[in-house]
Amino acid sequence: MPRGGFTFSSLISMHRFVRFARFARLSRSARRACRTSFAGLALTSVVLSGCGSDSATGLRPFTGPALSVVGKGSMTARYMAEVWTRGNIAYTSTWGTRSANGVLAVGNAVHIWRINGAAPVLADSLIVENATTLGDIQVSDDGTLLVVATERQNGSIVIYGLTDPLKPTRITRYQTANTTNGVHTAEVARVNGTLYAFLSVDPPNARLVIVDLTDPANPREVLTRIMGSPFIHDVYVRDGLLFTALWNDGTTIWDIGGGGKGGSPSNPVQIGNVRTAAWSASAGGIFAHNVRWFQDATGGANAKRFMFVGEEAPGAGSVLNSSNGDIHVVDIADMAAPKEVAFYHVDGAGTHNFSVDEQRGILYAAYYNAGVRAIDIRGDLSSCSADQKSADGRCDLRKMGRQLAGGLQSNGDVFVWGVHFDGNYLYASDMYQGLWKLAAADR
Amino acid sequence: MSGRDSSDRASASVRIQAIGLVSRVDPAVGGRTLTEGYLAQPIIMARGSVLGGAVSGILTLDFEGLTLDRGQLTPGAYGEGYVDRRHPHTYLHEGLAVFSGAFRRTGVSLAGGKGFAAFGTDDPMMRPFASYPANHHLAQILERYVIVGAVRRGRFIAEASVFNGDEPLGPGVPPDASRFGDSWSLRGTLAAPFGLELQGSYASVASPELVTGDGLDQRKWSAAARLDRPAGPVRYALVEWATTDAMSGDVLTNRFTSFLAEASADVKPVTLALRYESTTRPEEERLLDPFRTSRSPTDLSIIGVTRWQTVTGAVSTSHRLGTLDLFPFAEVAYSRPNETLTPSAFVPEDFYGASSLWMLSAGVRVGFGPRHQRMGRYGVAMPNATSGAHAAVGHSGH
Repeated sequence: MPRGGFTFSSLISMHRFVRFARFARLSRSARRACRTSFAGLALTSVVLSGCGSDSATGLRPFTGPALSVVGKGSMTARYMAEVWTRGNIAYTSTWGTRSANGVLAVGNAVHIWRINGAAPVLADSLIVENATTLGDIQVSDDGTLLVVATERQNGSIVIYGLTDPLKPTRITRYQTANTTNGVHTAEVARVNGTLYAFLSVDPPNARLVIVDLTDPANPREVLTRIMGSPFIHDVYVRDGLLFTALWNDGTTIWDIGGGGKGGSPSNPVQIGNVRTAAWSASAGGIFAHNVRWFQDATGGANAKRFMFVGEEAPGAGSVLNSSNGDIHVVDIADMAAPKEVAFYHVDGAGTHNFSVDEQRGILYAAYYNAGVRAIDIRGDLSSCSADQKSADGRCDLRKMGRQLAGGLQSNGDVFVWGVHFDGNYLYASDMYQGLWKLAAADR
Repeated sequence: MSGRDSSDRASASVRIQAIGLVSRVDPAVGGRTLTEGYLAQPIIMARGSVLGGAVSGILTLDFEGLTLDRGQLTPGAYGEGYVDRRHPHTYLHEGLAVFSGAFRRTGVSLAGGKGFAAFGTDDPMMRPFASYPANHHLAQILERYVIVGAVRRGRFIAEASVFNGDEPLGPGVPPDASRFGDSWSLRGTLAAPFGLELQGSYASVASPELVTGDGLDQRKWSAAARLDRPAGPVRYALVEWATTDAMSGDVLTNRFTSFLAEASADVKPVTLALRYESTTRPEEERLLDPFRTSRSPTDLSIIGVTRWQTVTGAVSTSHRLGTLDLFPFAEVAYSRPNETLTPSAFVPEDFYGASSLWMLSAGVRVGFGPRHQRMGRYGVAMPNATSGAHAAVGHSGH
């Protein structure tokens, strides 16, 4: 059977199609689709069906100080996902299926980059067999282990040794009945000296699985607990406290050894829960996606007072095309009664993962189609003037002048999944283009 | 097989049918051509009534779960974890009790069980093509626990239904009974003269894809004109428009639309059928099997929207072999998929390795027993019922 052998003869002139498409604010490809429609039938269908949905996101050009680009390591064979750095090495994961000319490249690769130069240089890569998405990646605090989550089918974590950071060696792949739905995120953290992996596992029966990595060749499950509505998405662990982002169930704080409630990784005890506001009152959910407890290195009354919750709401379009969702600032001075006090909003874009410069009090947020944003989070974020408040009484960080800088929004099609600040530079994992190296924001 | 008691107050009939076919798709995925054979749509349909039709039962068993687990190659098809392959339906396709009556000149009926919500058009299984259109999940709502109330006065029919929003998880998995009533629909129909029928319908469907709830809801509209005549060169035609809005609360995230026109005509000794479809499809992340997507989508699972424009032509003949109906057929379909959003994580030409796809199918429909009427309407909601048998088995061929 021939390919593309069908000859189209449009019954109406091309420019009318284009005019109609422009009128309908259609995308470039949609207009192409219209031009290649099936003659008169297509015209009818176009009129009746509108020839596709509009993808306008409402994202405005960024005005303000820019995070300057130091360099870029290009990756267009696969879609990029998360990024983690240690020393002069960056590790990035990959997501979904990218295709070109019928050749499909699934997100089963870990890329290893040298980042000591201006532009990240791809040094090596690992392939995880029987995987299609590696959503999360992290190096343990002692630099000995690299932990990679595998999602969708065959959910697991893959643990590598980093004796040679440029040549990770696989120690084991941990997959059980409790992980097989897909490990969406994997946080590696130490609790009272013991290293654990905290796995957020996909539905059905979405659950948190905690695994003791004391013997990384033989990970040992210490907890599995169903939570989240409809799923648990991510966690943050610090000082014996566990913070869980539970989508429409909000964000919960648990004692797992540092909260004085008798909790442990094998028996988390709930301290408090907060349901942050949605970016839109009619959004249909609160989409608690990720969480970070900021501890200001300079100390002060507000040093450990604020928790940041990322909201990942559906955009008007699709992934890699649009996004929605705010950054929510939660006062956790009373962890039993956390309260949202402030937020940061970008029209036409939504936030994703965070990285924090605690020395200078700057939160860097991946912002998908809006690139990267840097926000001043030092001081009392709950105190603002009346004209800096939203109608519901929360402080608007933008109106408070706390937006320090933005980056990458004007660098072509970008969709920034993750950021990692290494103390000097900010690394941004752009799903479309690769790994960006950016200068830190000025205060 | 059919029977009727001497008092003419009870009747029953059973029909068994299936399609054996071979399909070749070029390219199916990643530039690869695939040729496969199937036993598709193996079903048993039983209908019975007592008390002069006041109480009736409908049972349709579908055994595709046994014969079509990998799905049937169909470019553009999607739903229930399958993509570019049509998914198998549930073993209990329909199982309902229907109570019908009349008050003065107004007919009323109430149907309850598992089956179709009062929305959209007829099941593609009962239409003149072996291949399903891409718009199946835009134009019908089926295999739900449902209660459908219908009122008919003269040529006008009004229906309302409540049902569970969750789509089936697999052929043997029942709907989540706890979700019954979270979704509803309305349909109005005008049974016009000369076999013409006009319908418009609306449905509010809660979280169909995330069965535990909290997924995107759907608001669906459908409008269609259908022609079904017992005689004449063009005996069946359908023109339908359907749209589905994927909603996060009251925020519209995506709109999927479909326009479809199909007709069949007898040109002795064959029956010819032609279908044109332009349908937008959500794209989701594919699994290791590129024809599958996750049934438990997390985050933002729609990675693109593709408009599928497909022309399908079919030719068939009709034969009798003892008690069997035989309808040998051949179908050819030509599709052009294009992304409607840019940038997009799913670019059809890159994914398939071609800008257009061909599908060629040949096989035979086999049936035993009296042909049944249409599928997807119950009780007094069945317009033009006397001629419905024409389309009930697909090609007319008679």
